[in-house]
Formats: sequence, C-alpha cells, structure tokens
Amino acid sequence: MKEPEDLKLPGLIALVGAAVAAGAAYIISGTYSEMFSELAGGMGPIIGVISAISAFFVFIIIWWIIFAAIFYGLSLAFGGKGTFKRTLEFSGIGLIPIILGTIISLLISLYYVPLIEVPVISGITDPAVIQEAMSQMMEDPAFREFTQVSSLISVIFLVWSANLWIFALKHARNLTMKQAALTVLIPVVICILVILVPAFTGISLPGGI
Amino acid sequence: MRLHPSFIGTFLCICAILAVPVMAQDDSAAAAQVAVTNVIIDPAIFFEDDTGIINVEITNNGAQSVAIRRATIYGGDVTVLSQSYDTTTVIGAGNRMTFSFTIKADVPPGIYYPYFSLDFRDAGYLRYPIPIRVDNQPLTLAVLNKPDVFSEGRKDRVDILVGNPRDNPVSGTVVNFMGSRMDPVPSSYFIGNLDPDQSRQVSVNITPEDPGNLQILVEYKNGINDHTDSLTLPVRFGESKTEANPVLTNIVVEYGNGHYTMTGDVYNAGLEVANSVLLTTRSPTTPVDPYRNYVVGSLQPDDFSSYELTFTASDVSEIPVAIEYRDIDGNPFEKVSMVSIPPKNTKNEENPGIALPVIVIIVVSAAVIGGAIWYSWKKR
Repeated sequence: MKEPEDLKLPGLIALVGAAVAAGAAYIISGTYSEMFSELAGGMGPIIGVISAISAFFVFIIIWWIIFAAIFYGLSLAFGGKGTFKRTLEFSGIGLIPIILGTIISLLISLYYVPLIEVPVISGITDPAVIQEAMSQMMEDPAFREFTQVSSLISVIFLVWSANLWIFALKHARNLTMKQAALTVLIPVVICILVILVPAFTGISLPGGI
Repeated sequence: MRLHPSFIGTFLCICAILAVPVMAQDDSAAAAQVAVTNVIIDPAIFFEDDTGIINVEITNNGAQSVAIRRATIYGGDVTVLSQSYDTTTVIGAGNRMTFSFTIKADVPPGIYYPYFSLDFRDAGYLRYPIPIRVDNQPLTLAVLNKPDVFSEGRKDRVDILVGNPRDNPVSGTVVNFMGSRMDPVPSSYFIGNLDPDQSRQVSVNITPEDPGNLQILVEYKNGINDHTDSLTLPVRFGESKTEANPVLTNIVVEYGNGHYTMTGDVYNAGLEVANSVLLTTRSPTTPVDPYRNYVVGSLQPDDFSSYELTFTASDVSEIPVAIEYRDIDGNPFEKVSMVSIPPKNTKNEENPGIALPVIVIIVVSAAVIGGAIWYSWKKR
C-alpha cells in the first residue's frame, strides 16, 4: 500500500456508528427509567444520557480500536506486515455493516420498547427487590424477543463486517486470504457466541453481556 | 226460828259488797302475770310505704286464766291496716298467744313506736311499745370492671357488684340486664337472699350492635314488698387502648404476568394478640390466584409476618387492603389500609411473537448480506 494512512473517513464512520449506538442506548434506557420512575422521579433523562454516552465510547473503543488491535495482534502470528494505523483505517471502513445493523436494531427497538412490560418499583426498602425486578424485566417476553431479534441482526451484519475485514486485513497486513480469514473469524466467532448464547439460552457468559 | 225475808236480802247484799274487792284483787294479780314475751317484725326494717307484719306473743305466766277483751296496735304514726282483736278470749295459765297486725310504714325514715295494747276483761290493760325502723337505703350497684370502650359486634365482659348496706336481709334478689341491641348474656342473674353488709359479684357479657346504654336493674323483696334499683352503664364505641393494631409495612407492588403482586410485612403494633389474621384486597380489585388471600395466623404484640397478595385492578392508583383478625374472645375485627399501586403496564399482554415485518427484515438482511458475501468471494 503506497497511499498514506488516512483515518478521516474511518473516524467519521466510527463517529456515526457511535452516535447511532448512543441513540439506541438512549431508547433502551427508557425502560429502566420507567422501572425507577416511582423512586427516581426526574432521573429518567439523566439515566438516558449516561447510557448514550457510555454506548458512544464503547462503540468506538470496542468495535473499532480493540477489534483493530486484536486483528493486528493475531496477524502478527501469520507474519503480517503493515502499520496499526493502516489496520485501524481498514477496519474502520468495515464498521459500515455494523452501523447499518445498529440502525436497523434501533428502528426495531422503536417497535419493541413500547411493548416491554416494565415492573415499576415503589416503596422499596430491600435492594434484592431491584435485582428481582430487573430479572423480571429480562424475562419479559417482549424484551427477550427484542434481545433475540437484535442479536440476530447484529450477528448477520457482523458477518458482513467480518467479510469486509477479511479483505481489508489481507491488504492492510499483506496476508493470504486464509490467514486473513483466520485472523478475522477467530475474534468474530467468539463475539458471535457472546452475543447469541445469552440471547437464546439466557445463560450469562463471563463479562455479563 | 223463821228469818225475815228482808233480812236475808240485806245479808246477801252485804256479802256481795264485801266480796267484790276481794275478787278484783284476784283478777289484777292474774293479769299482772301476762307479759309480752316476743315481738317479730317482718321486715325488720321498713322502706317508706312498705307494708309489714308485727307478731306479738304474750305469755300468761300466772296460775290463773286471764280473760282478754281486746288486743290492738295504735299510734306511732304508722298506719295499722289490720283489725283489732275485739273478741273476748281467755289465755290459760302458762299458755302463750300470738297477735298479728299488718301495718304500713307510710312515714319518713326514722324510728317509730306504735303501742301494742292488751285490754283485760277484768283488770286494766297492758301497753307495750314496739320500735319500727324505717330506712330507705337501697341495695348498691357498682361496676367493678368494664372495657375502656366497646366495639360493634365485639363481646365484652362487665362485672357488677350488688351489695346490701341495710341492717336487714333482703330476699329474691334478681339482677336484670337490658339494652337495645346489646345481647346481654345472661339476661338476668338470680342471687336470692342478701344478708346485711354482704355483696355478690355478677358478670355479664354484652355484644353491642349500636352505641347506647346498658340498663342494670336489681329487683328484690323487703318482706313482702318489691323494690328495684338500677344502674345505667353507657356503651360507647371507640378504639381500645390495648387492642391489636395490625399495620402494613415494607410494601412492594409489582405488575407482572397479568396481575399485581403485593408483598410486605404485617406488624402487630397493638398490645393484644391478633388471632386468625387474614389479608385480602377489596373492591375495586379482584383477587386472583395464587394468593387471593394470605393467612398469617396469630400475631403477638410486636410480632410481624410477611405476606403476599395477587390481584388485578384497573384505572386505580390506590387499593384497599383488608386485614381481618380476631381478639382472644373470637370477636372479629377488620382494618382496611389504602395502598398505592404503580400504573399497570399491559403493553405486551397479548404478545403474539415475532412480528412479520421483523422476520422480513431479518430474512432480507440475511439474504442480501449472504448474497453480498457470496458475490465478493466469487468475484475474487
């Protein structure tokens, strides 16, 4: 690759993706705000803003920087050549499908969130009740269905991103297709498992996703 | 010798004249042996306007019979209702005779002395004062024990003391309990004789349905005279200072699976035990399984128990929760507490599953992406 690395476009893509993730998080946080409406009073918007800010930075850090770092580190095992900045540039462009998937999940959340039955907690004195109420919301049919649907969409578009990342890694790190595929699929498959297993089995994996 | 008739007549007259003082002296001596030996007054002490009997017993302690012409009672302000003994009779030597008189003590309280008078046919009379006491002191009625307040439908015990402060016994004493919608048990209590300075305790259980008065009426006889005395006990409703007081605390209300679930603690903040404690929700709610009611059982003072209720409700923010319990006598009580409930969220009551548009989006996305991936690899 002779062209100098340019992070403007991938950076812009990551920012757009982070903004979309933040919007989705704000909408989802509305259910939690409703749960604590009796206790927190006007805390709903604050909870939403905190959720949005968290999702914004988590998207940039995890989906772009950490994934690029993982790709860079794994490609070292295959004798990959090229700078991390180049890997960051190419993997950032591969975020477009993930952003599309997040947008679709956001739109679907507009349908599901009003359906979620939120237990409103009042007169609470036992912290265990909060946990029980959270569990009850997690077991809500609409919430569970939304989790499964959004997980499926995330996985579908993550596969698309993985396909882009394979080609991107091949060029960014001078790898063969097989090496690039292994470099990308190892973390992506793990990520897919982390997304799908809790969503469809209810089993929480380490990390609590 | 032949006596002249006029001489005989004169002689007999002289003898007769000489014999009269001798006979009069014999009759007075015999009458002096007659004495009043016993007086029985029934009742011993009269109420004003009471009627009674005086029995006067006389005894002839002499060796000769004594003729009695009349026996009566008079004076002393009391009214003698019976007739005098006006028929001449004779009381033999060593014999006793009783005269009965009915009197009415229509005089104010005090001591009166009517006279018993005995007229001898042949010698003077005997006068004997009989003391009659008139006292209007009635039996005393006192409430020994009663609850501070009464409650509707609650059975409470009232202890009464009936005392006789008079100096004579009364008989046939009966205590009656009366009151509208009081349901006294027993309705009356027979005591019978009540001697001077004696008392008897009587207990009655009442279950008032309305506030009012409990009339305690004691009936008794003084001799043959009926008397009554009464006491009125106000029956006022209110909250007892020591009764059980179940209070709901730590209330958590959640909505899920189509119904509300209320959990919390019920605490007995009173000083008496609450038995058979049962919780349920009242209209406008509809109790549903699995916890339509929650039976806590017995709650000692300062004791508590957790509970759980399930119910449905629409368009209400507060619901009544009824706590039913009984006291140690089994009297039922009910306390209703209002509890706020959160707004019901029934948005996914009829969640039909994944919506068709969502399925279409997933399938189309998968197809498009799959096609794109296939195309990219084919193109390579």
